[in-house]
Amino acid sequence: MAEDDRDEVALDAIFAALADGTRRQILTRLSQGEATVNELAAPFAISLPAVSKHLKVLERAGLISRTRDGQFRPCRLEADRLDHASDWIEQNRQIWSDRFDKLSAHLRDLTSTPTNKDTADE
Amino acid sequence: MSSTSTDLGEATFTRVYDAPRQLVFACMTEPEHLTHFWGPVGVSTPIENITVDLHVGGAFETIMVNDADGTEYPSRGVYTEIDPPHTLAWVEPDIGMTSRSTFTDLGDGRTEVRIVQSHVPALFRTPEAQAGMASSFDRFAGYLATLTV
Repeated sequence: MAEDDRDEVALDAIFAALADGTRRQILTRLSQGEATVNELAAPFAISLPAVSKHLKVLERAGLISRTRDGQFRPCRLEADRLDHASDWIEQNRQIWSDRFDKLSAHLRDLTSTPTNKDTADE
Repeated sequence: MSSTSTDLGEATFTRVYDAPRQLVFACMTEPEHLTHFWGPVGVSTPIENITVDLHVGGAFETIMVNDADGTEYPSRGVYTEIDPPHTLAWVEPDIGMTSRSTFTDLGDGRTEVRIVQSHVPALFRTPEAQAGMASSFDRFAGYLATLTV
């Protein structure tokens, strides 16, 4: 699989994981530090298994990690993965911004005539 | 500034050009124009790297080239809607992303171009994902910022 394809698959998982309010709240909590499943479940009126299901989604997307040993297996935020998603959004926005800037310049070249070129504003 | 955002899975870019609509539409559909602006800053798109087969089902393919190191960024699109000089849309089948541009004649020689782009492929179209998409793109960006400082 090409690197770009892997990137797309990773982004799919990240954006899908973020498209849920409970999971976003879990991430916000983890931005303050590690927490166990019980601690993460406390603010929510949902069952522990339901929270575990959300954590699995976040883990698959690479947004959190859990230690393999120890009884409580605390969860940790993987902030780099969020950077990956926000970088992509910003890059895409920047590409269109650049394109539009360049198109403006190109259209100015096309529509300006030699006589008014020097006095054209902007 | 010209880019606004809507839902998490969608972005809208709008810009007003001081040029007639026919010309702006031509710029978006003719390689001899596209080569002037398709690559973002630091990236070029040589005219021989642009394929435009302007009918529904036809190819819209580009290979952008990084000016600094020659890295190539191929993009493979298929036109899904062509209505000169009003509307232009294509899909990138490899990633599922669609881009739909509308061209509005503002009546004073200026043209507004609005591009609505769906960002995120397949997974985002599941009912579960749709239900979670109420949060706006801007809020999402702000949310990310709070997490990554």
